[in-house]
Amino acid sequence: MTKTVIHFIILAAVLLMVQVVCNKIMLLGLAMPIVFIYVIYRLPASLHVNWVLTVAFLMGLVVDVFNDTPGMNALSCTLLAALRRPVFRAYAPRDIQEDGLLPSMAAMGTGAFFKYALTLTLFYAAVLFLIQAFTLRDWLLTVERIAASAALSMVLILGIDSLVDTGHGEGL
Amino acid sequence: MKNLIDFFLRHSAWAVFLLYAVLSVVMLVGSRNPYQQSVWLTSANAVSSTVYGALGYVTGYFNLHSINADLEQRNATLEMELVDLRSQLRQLRLQLPDSTFDQQALASYRLLPALVISNSIAQTHNHVTIDRGSADGLQPQMGVVDRGGVVGVVEVTSAHAARVISLLNPDISVSCKLKDSDYFGRLIWEGGDPRFATLDQLPKHTVYEVGDTVVTSGFSDMFPEGIRVGVVTGKAHEVSAGDVQLQVKLGTDFSRLSEVRVIVNSRSAELRSLNSDSLPNNDKKRQADANSSKLSRP
Repeated sequence: MTKTVIHFIILAAVLLMVQVVCNKIMLLGLAMPIVFIYVIYRLPASLHVNWVLTVAFLMGLVVDVFNDTPGMNALSCTLLAALRRPVFRAYAPRDIQEDGLLPSMAAMGTGAFFKYALTLTLFYAAVLFLIQAFTLRDWLLTVERIAASAALSMVLILGIDSLVDTGHGEGL
Repeated sequence: MKNLIDFFLRHSAWAVFLLYAVLSVVMLVGSRNPYQQSVWLTSANAVSSTVYGALGYVTGYFNLHSINADLEQRNATLEMELVDLRSQLRQLRLQLPDSTFDQQALASYRLLPALVISNSIAQTHNHVTIDRGSADGLQPQMGVVDRGGVVGVVEVTSAHAARVISLLNPDISVSCKLKDSDYFGRLIWEGGDPRFATLDQLPKHTVYEVGDTVVTSGFSDMFPEGIRVGVVTGKAHEVSAGDVQLQVKLGTDFSRLSEVRVIVNSRSAELRSLNSDSLPNNDKKRQADANSSKLSRP
């Protein structure tokens, strides 16, 4: 239990630091890497939704403070946390749903985790860029940004996942 | 009673969700109102300014070579100008009595150097964080420039850091004019390419040429008259109202901003109190701009 908590604190701290740098990047003017949401994906499946919401909100707030986007990531994270359980239920194999599983490629199977992460990442990018574009006119650009950012983030998240969880309880 | 408590416990997730969502929306809406935010929720707070300060200390060295070359160039130009002005001044002194020269005109402005510790250009509302704060005499609504031109306006300050609304942010606009012809308009950035902004609200009969220099008009107290902003590169998209809109290439390269200067105006408190007396219900954030745009639309 304590080991899991420490694992998550370190994971969150590292990914938040990476995210602060990532938020200054906009590849080709379209794709922003979003990596810190991996922490929310990976929270234990059995964790009470109130805790998921709290962790997600606080992480979004930290990213907001560092990037001068008050409320933007916090709101997106809160919505993401609310959506996490239904999406997990939809894709995870029945037999592994209710124990203290940490969602990952190794635990859920590559296909199931990919669908789970892709749905949530697309949702997050969509909410984030729609909030950001609220006052602007260029809808096509917003759609392109959502697609490009989600694609880039997915590549990074799958990479982080294979680093963090090697399937033998080891890894980072 | 027990049932009631059970009911709330079972549905507490909704309450928690609503609480966080409402908090986020309040922050989101609050952020659209510059100059009135709490400094704790911005990158000028103690923790993030320390982190960014450490990062900036390292990355600040990366561009030194090109910055130095720029400074050399600018120094040479200024030296030429100084020689030219000195000789003109000497000639004019001979013709006019001493009292005609207003030595006080620029004395109320002071430039304070500062380092950029965080900067963004990819967002739709960009901000710059600098390593000077209220302890150095900074206050909200002071202008910020760098060697290329206007950078933005100070928004909130903590003791040793301040957040600046970048010129790449539709929340601010700067009253500008064409240097040679004195036609004036409003410079605003509305998203897109961080190298270009739009100079709008110019009168219909404006005469301009591609390559004309755009400078500040001096109508607001944030920037003195004649600070370089950029050069005209052509006509921006057509508008129905009949105003002329020009595309301006900004003199400031926001992608490698590192050393800036804050314009400290000792008369600004005086001017601002005059403005707020005459405009009792005006929105603070547009105040300085409103004063100039009122002039520009007779």
